[in-house]
Amino acid sequence: MACASTSASATWNMSSLRSAIPPIHARSASSVHLSTGPSSSRLKFSSSKLLHSFVGLAPLHPLLSLSSPDSTSFEHCFTVIDNGGRFFAMRHGKRVPKLNRPPDQRRALLRALTTQLLKHGRIKTTRARASAMRKYVDKMVTLAKDGSLHKRRQALGFIYEKEIVHALFAEVEERYGDRNGGYTRIIRTLPRRGDNAPMAYIELV
Amino acid sequence: MSRLMEPLSVGGVIGEVVDNFIPSVNLNVTYNSNRQVSNGHELMPAVITAKPRVEIGGEDMRAAYTLVMTDPDAPSPSDAYLREHLHWIVTDIPGTTDASFGRELVSYETPKPVIGIHRYVFVLFKQRARHSVRPPASRDYFNTRSFAEENGLGLPVAAVYFNAQRENACRRR
Repeated sequence: MACASTSASATWNMSSLRSAIPPIHARSASSVHLSTGPSSSRLKFSSSKLLHSFVGLAPLHPLLSLSSPDSTSFEHCFTVIDNGGRFFAMRHGKRVPKLNRPPDQRRALLRALTTQLLKHGRIKTTRARASAMRKYVDKMVTLAKDGSLHKRRQALGFIYEKEIVHALFAEVEERYGDRNGGYTRIIRTLPRRGDNAPMAYIELV
Repeated sequence: MSRLMEPLSVGGVIGEVVDNFIPSVNLNVTYNSNRQVSNGHELMPAVITAKPRVEIGGEDMRAAYTLVMTDPDAPSPSDAYLREHLHWIVTDIPGTTDASFGRELVSYETPKPVIGIHRYVFVLFKQRARHSVRPPASRDYFNTRSFAEENGLGLPVAAVYFNAQRENACRRR
């Protein structure tokens, strides 16, 4: 008898598991609507009437949390595991540079670096930061090339100083009108004395 | 020879300041008798206040060379509308000697980078005859290529550049 299984991998598929499990009743479904994010679910957790043991901020395995008797622990399944229910302990194939910072600080660092590069034209920073910010500088120049009001407001939401945005939108036509992409250049240089970090100049091409 | 030219083309000197050339003469620029200028390295503003010691190679002392020092990122690398700013011209330098044996056409001006990181480029030309180089009208809007054309200097024979920021610029980020 041939089985009609399609997945040859050893990882579990979220939708097939969820369909196999009996549905959660309405009380926990409404609590899902109330939780708006990881931080608020933490707050709700501490203020809820039922005393749960703190199980940590990492998302629990959905099967384990569903098998426990308390129904409001469905809040732990807030993370959408969008690679199909597969999560690995390693970083294989993930190309986002983390820059040793949590995501909010990382975003702030990249915003500050692109603001400074657009302001000064050439900055000296570590090689990892220089190669991480190329994408954002190119994105800003692309927004400026488009030139519409919506793109201008998007750029204003990213760059910290509005004079730089207006100057960029004004001069990008004559400067980068012919160039398609690759608006930066990275030049590696001597390591920094304090911690031997490899440094690089990044400049607007 | 392309190994010597790579930092110059990566740093944008070949392309913005001069055209692609074949280096044929040694050029050693030293500030304060211990800081030698290497392509793309950074020097502090305190070091570059006085004029450097420029030693050139060449075959013999009959050939005359001209040294030009400019800043292609004036006043700011992101918006260099005064490109280039002239800092120093020395002419009639005899081969295998240093710049103190030449005639200073435009006196040395201390680089004062205000905004951003500036490149300061030394370009060496070989003259066809002595006393053939005339000083330009002003230091701003200098163009090394047109200066070489007007004075019959042709392509450069050597070039080197360094970077400089203002003294209290942010260096740790």
